[in-house]
Amino acid sequence: MPKHIVSGLKYLTAVELIREGLSQKEVAKILEMDRSTVSHYLNGRNLSWNSIEVAEIITKFCPKDFLTLTYALLNDSEKTRVIVKTCSKKSYKASVEESCIGCGLCVDTCLLNAIVLDDLKARIDSDWCNGCNMCRDVCPTDSIKILEVNNGY
Amino acid sequence: MVTNTKEVKGKDICVQRISPEEKRELAYKDDVCIGCGICAKICPTEAIELGEIGAIERTGVDESKISIDEAKCVLCGMCSSACPVDALDLKLDEKSIKDMAEYPQLIKSAEISDDLCIYCKACETACPRDAITIARILPERSKLVTGEIEIDKDTCISCGICEEMCPADAIEMEHHEPTSSDPTVSSDITVNKDKCVYCLICRKSCPVDAIKAVCRSCSYGDYDLNPEDSETTGSSFIDEEACVNCGWCQEICPVDAATVEKAFEGELTIDQDTCEACGACVEICPCNVLSFPEAEFGEQSDKVQADETYCIYCGACENVCPVEAIDVKRTAVKHTPTKSKSWEKQLSELKT
Repeated sequence: MPKHIVSGLKYLTAVELIREGLSQKEVAKILEMDRSTVSHYLNGRNLSWNSIEVAEIITKFCPKDFLTLTYALLNDSEKTRVIVKTCSKKSYKASVEESCIGCGLCVDTCLLNAIVLDDLKARIDSDWCNGCNMCRDVCPTDSIKILEVNNGY
Repeated sequence: MVTNTKEVKGKDICVQRISPEEKRELAYKDDVCIGCGICAKICPTEAIELGEIGAIERTGVDESKISIDEAKCVLCGMCSSACPVDALDLKLDEKSIKDMAEYPQLIKSAEISDDLCIYCKACETACPRDAITIARILPERSKLVTGEIEIDKDTCISCGICEEMCPADAIEMEHHEPTSSDPTVSSDITVNKDKCVYCLICRKSCPVDAIKAVCRSCSYGDYDLNPEDSETTGSSFIDEEACVNCGWCQEICPVDAATVEKAFEGELTIDQDTCEACGACVEICPCNVLSFPEAEFGEQSDKVQADETYCIYCGACENVCPVEAIDVKRTAVKHTPTKSKSWEKQLSELKT
């Protein structure tokens, strides 16, 4: 069953990436699939429509649930990053205040590897942030602010 | 979720956080800790608590001077940076933050210049932490004296007076029981010229004038001695783990070979009226700043004396004083620069 949901998520990601202009070959490489499988997926073959529905529901979960469930299903950091970022419809602006002590807890927590430490201060790459707020929740000094932007939906 | 693990080995504590990104490890060494509580003061998450150090110090109870709550510790490293004696050390992927330029470090040092040191060992004796070792090579005695000595064995009666008198143990005589075939009492008498200092005691005390000896230094001066041969050489070593940068070595050194830089500046005040002379501060002080003046036999000294010259303003004495008679003020905390505003703030808040 989890395998089917993963297929659904990969399908949604593949469709989105193709729409963004990537070739089937590039999509296959990113998702670590055969090119023929990508082709089958895009034509709606080898995939139960129910898994796509379930996957679509998952992508509409709150960002934290979407991210943690996807990571739990895939157990792979790189593919989780691609799928979550591609299927997330919202953008976020993350900022770190001067009260940050550089403990690195957020770095260790972020499943999208969007945070690095720079001179004892966390720096968040907003392009990769999916607004899960897990970093904000672990921050001992309450230094992280994450705002939703481009809320066109 | 990443969680911390804690390992306690004897009185030492180790808190770890391992993620796919990195391994953070905070190690605490109790035997290095002086119980100042600066770690507890700077900790931004209140994860460190200072124990009852007065009781721990006095009773020798098997307990760490600090405790670390691994559920609260975020392994930021502030305690490690602020510890004046490096009892705490945070390592990121096995590399100490004390070796990383982005982390502020307390500016403190103790050095002994081998160029200036005369190896008198005054610092070694004075160091309250036994952190200094002076290894010295003394000059050879035979190269500091010059002269001649000869014993006329035909005249010598083997009485052994010279052997007994020689202050340098340079004369040796082999005694033996006389027999009818060999009626002598001594088979041989030798002078060890590496030991002889040409003091002429043997010549003067010989009852039969069998010894001819002269001290050339007395007669002609040191012309055939090389001044370099009289120099003591050696090397000095400071155990950085034990050293607390108190400055005893610098103050006691007669040739200014020791240089100490202290991380904190401040002021130490003792309210003599409140002090009950319990001695807890004297025992805890890592720098021998505090002492009781010599009291008459049978009398108890009722005031504690302080010499601030050696104080590092760690505040351990203030922590143990049961009657709050001691006030330690820190007016400056010297550290290497940091770009982090929060670290700057936390470090400057160590000032009181």
